Amino acid sequence: MSTKISRREMLKLTAASAVAMSTGLVSSTKIFAAPPGQETITLRFQENEQYYADVVEAFKQQFPNVNIEYVTVTGIDHAEVASKILAQLAAGTPVDIGYAATEATQLYAGEGLALPLTQRVLDSKEELAEYFADVSPVLTETMMYEGDLYQLPRDFNAANMYFNTELLAKAGLEMPPAEWTKDDFVEYARAMTGIDGSYGYGWTNRLWGSWTPWFFVNNTNFLVEERAPGGEWMWETFYADDPKAQGRGGGWRWPAPQANNPEMLEALEFVVSLTRDGLTPEVGMGTGETLTGFFTSGKLGMTPAGGFWSGNLYNQGMPKDAFDVQFWPAWKSQRHQLGVGAAWILNGSQHEDEAWEFVKFTCKKEIMEICGLFNPVTLTTPVRRSMNNEARYSVTGPANWQVFYATLDERPDTGPIPAPVFSIEMTDIYTRFTGLAVNGDMTPQEALDGMQAELEALYARQ
Amino acid sequence: MTTTSTIRTAMRSTTWLNRLFRALPRRPGEWLRLLFLFVIAILTLMPLVWVVSTSLRQPIESFSVPPEWIPVDMDFSNYNEVFERIPFWSQMTNSFIITIAVVAGQIVTASLAGYAFARLRFPGRNFLFWLVLATMMIPGQATIIPVFILISRGLGINDTLWALIIPSLSTAFGIFLLRQYFLQIPGDFEEAAMIDGANQWQIFRQIYFPLASPGLAILAVLTFNAKWNDYFTPLVFMNTKDRFPITLGIVDLKGYMATGSISVVLAGIVLSTIPVIIIYIFGQRYLIEGLMMGGIKG
Amino acid sequence: MVSQAIQPKRNRIIQWLAADTMEGIRRQRALLGYLFIAPSIIGLLVFIIGPMIATFGLSFYKWNVFRPPEFVNFENFSRLFSDPRVFTAFRNTFLLVVMTVVMLEIIALALALSVHRLASRPLSYFFRTSYFLPVLLSGAAVAVTLGYMFHRDFGVINYYLGLLGIPKISWLTDSNVVLWSVSLTTVWRNLGFTFIIYLGGVSSLPTEILEAAQVDGAYGWRRLKSVVLPLLSPTILFATVTDIIKMLQFFDEPFIMTRGGPGDASRTVVMLMYENAFGNLAFGYGSAIALVLFAVILLVTGIQFALSRRWVFYS
Repeated sequence: MSTKISRREMLKLTAASAVAMSTGLVSSTKIFAAPPGQETITLRFQENEQYYADVVEAFKQQFPNVNIEYVTVTGIDHAEVASKILAQLAAGTPVDIGYAATEATQLYAGEGLALPLTQRVLDSKEELAEYFADVSPVLTETMMYEGDLYQLPRDFNAANMYFNTELLAKAGLEMPPAEWTKDDFVEYARAMTGIDGSYGYGWTNRLWGSWTPWFFVNNTNFLVEERAPGGEWMWETFYADDPKAQGRGGGWRWPAPQANNPEMLEALEFVVSLTRDGLTPEVGMGTGETLTGFFTSGKLGMTPAGGFWSGNLYNQGMPKDAFDVQFWPAWKSQRHQLGVGAAWILNGSQHEDEAWEFVKFTCKKEIMEICGLFNPVTLTTPVRRSMNNEARYSVTGPANWQVFYATLDERPDTGPIPAPVFSIEMTDIYTRFTGLAVNGDMTPQEALDGMQAELEALYARQ
Repeated sequence: MTTTSTIRTAMRSTTWLNRLFRALPRRPGEWLRLLFLFVIAILTLMPLVWVVSTSLRQPIESFSVPPEWIPVDMDFSNYNEVFERIPFWSQMTNSFIITIAVVAGQIVTASLAGYAFARLRFPGRNFLFWLVLATMMIPGQATIIPVFILISRGLGINDTLWALIIPSLSTAFGIFLLRQYFLQIPGDFEEAAMIDGANQWQIFRQIYFPLASPGLAILAVLTFNAKWNDYFTPLVFMNTKDRFPITLGIVDLKGYMATGSISVVLAGIVLSTIPVIIIYIFGQRYLIEGLMMGGIKG
Repeated sequence: MVSQAIQPKRNRIIQWLAADTMEGIRRQRALLGYLFIAPSIIGLLVFIIGPMIATFGLSFYKWNVFRPPEFVNFENFSRLFSDPRVFTAFRNTFLLVVMTVVMLEIIALALALSVHRLASRPLSYFFRTSYFLPVLLSGAAVAVTLGYMFHRDFGVINYYLGLLGIPKISWLTDSNVVLWSVSLTTVWRNLGFTFIIYLGGVSSLPTEILEAAQVDGAYGWRRLKSVVLPLLSPTILFATVTDIIKMLQFFDEPFIMTRGGPGDASRTVVMLMYENAFGNLAFGYGSAIALVLFAVILLVTGIQFALSRRWVFYS
């Protein structure tokens, strides 16, 4: 008996789902159909429509024969983003215009995927003069590889120090001055610890804005840094009058590891001591969303972040005077670390010219102003000096917004996070040993020795 | 009017109380058992309650400790934001189409193959079954690039829902599972049916298929769950937001550089889980009855 | 045997097949067998076995997608067998599967036996639904929620343990604890499913046998050990095999929660393979890891089935 009922029910269910399926099929033929063949040119653009709808709209008015097809990548880490880009590459259907931040710039350039833009930039000298005059040479140099420019910078983030101003006030402190030091920082961290369960300073284990800022201000790096030769074409053409462009080269090189040098050890010992002394809560692996949550909930006094936090904290309902920002504290220097992001063009794309027109178009000031990443709020810091202004940060905060661009203009020794062609594997080694030092499984010396050994093996494999 | 209804309510509540009272355990062993059930239930539900209550709180309060399990002021703005930020309904529809198509397809292919491996004799049967078993152990990440090349170059269906349906229509696990069910059904049924003049197809369709319904139910639930939550395959195969399943939409809610609010992400998760819970609540009876009816014999 | 004989015999093949003899039926059934497995076998060949062979072929190459593959013979395998991280990943995977499956089976079986004996229908409905709900959540939800709950300094778990006077535990950053956290998360997420399977098994136990055992004076543990468990052994085998297969592939949550850390303390083989292939762009090396994993799983499954012949009781 019961068999019969459930069988009939099952049939009903099957029938119902068949109907649902077929109506679904009919009503959604569009989503089943492959993209239609275009008479006009179609550029496959690796971006999120959410942020670029207005930009593309404006572009189409000027170039009606060029269609933009979004390739949305929602990966939460670099390996996921890479898995998509590489699968498309392996299948012979790569994007025409991709996006890469510093972490992947040299990978795409070094493997010949990205088109060198040098000649095109020189050919558009008049058009681009205004752009480069508005963009710090620090950013431009970061987008160069072995003498050529591969990307026109779009957004950047240097790790500055964010403060929860409510905790600051409860600790009876004022915002520190620009020239504050590592020792001042420890005082601040101590004072802001233990207020309703708060910790003075929190960070996440990753490459950018992890403990990386600490060894930058200690004037070292876990890879040897040097400037590639070349690049004069850029500095002489666009930055002839800019003293901050003096001595720059053709992009960064990281020829060898040096993870266990004394300054690295000093920096790691310092960071580990913050955890040991209870000023830093548990340091997790991750993309930073819990860090944001802990900061907005008043659990963290200070944390490393860049301009991208202003719009994001605002979106989460944090009042604009509840947080502020300052330079990273000085140690042996006050050199900051940063990452830059921008579009790259596929080397060998059938529509290189149109792609170049599009990339140039998106760098115009009036176009950047309507891009969803910078408008209505700042989701990431725009590379143009003139766009980092009072109006931009008046709604969201922070009050001390000048720090974002001053990190480039007043601290021009600021440099990129280390990111050679094999940066993802390098990052894995870096975060793995960092985690083992911070949780106490290894002493800082052991962790850095281990890191050095694995980095040497990695270099040997290349 | 009011008095009668009050009396009725009172009566109803007393019978309800009575029933509850009678259901209460009498021996200490039973109390212990009930305690055990409640402790596990609380442990299972606690994270879910946190998900729901956090999704109803202002983002800046998402990590308050001690946690407030019940939000005082309900704030639905996170839910509004979900609808503003992603094409929620079309992504949900996509998820449903993909999941239902795959569940239906797997039930058909796996029941046919499972039956064949269990009850039909043909040359090469053991070798082919071994081949099927071998494919069960391959993690999807290991084959994603060749599969992507196949669907984009070979079939030209990347960035369409077909790309998420077609490669999943056959299932080694489903064949393995249903074969076990068909094996356990006595062969007498078949002989009786043949004497009644049923052909081979009728024997399968009208006798064996219905008798394997507990296995079909398990396969349907497992497949639904796996496909509904699949994230990696669509990430690689799909480009256009309107064609994404909801799992990709949820990751989208994390915002640029993953600095978005956790409360909004959780609101998206709650919204996308509600339909699944409704399906489960209505389907639960059939699922459990199905399982009890056949009993599970591995 | 009647209907087939009446049909007109159109050609020799049909005649050969439709012959109303035992031979004919045997042939029909063989043909039907091939027809029935065809959709599955074609699908598996095209979308799993083919790509799998391609992947295994890659394990003899060095390939980063950008440049054409370069044949390196057994280099990937010699690297693999001398890489201590590979051993750690296999050890972690083994421990995770054992811990998770043991916890899952014991708790789920205990729950099923208890819920089955509940007299109250609403209560049993409540429990059934509560236990099953986490199964419906996505990996993203689980990762966000439990990642927060397990946080040493801000998490709920340590907060409540603290009220009981237990010092803070570094659930996600202590190498000796992290496997337990990952395992507990997986148990939490999958308990409901295993529970439902056991509930089905328990409910279909023949009541006469249970009552007979009671008359014979078998109570409590003894009855459980000597009557219930043997009767349930096919269900236990089924649930265990299903759970092991799931555990070997369901690694999203731990991946998002810990990224394999601290160090390699929670890194599994699938994670290592994924990171090498897509993170480090060493597709050949990743393929070699996948191949070894495949061999190990095949071996384990074989042993499991061989052993099951000894202890599983079919009525």
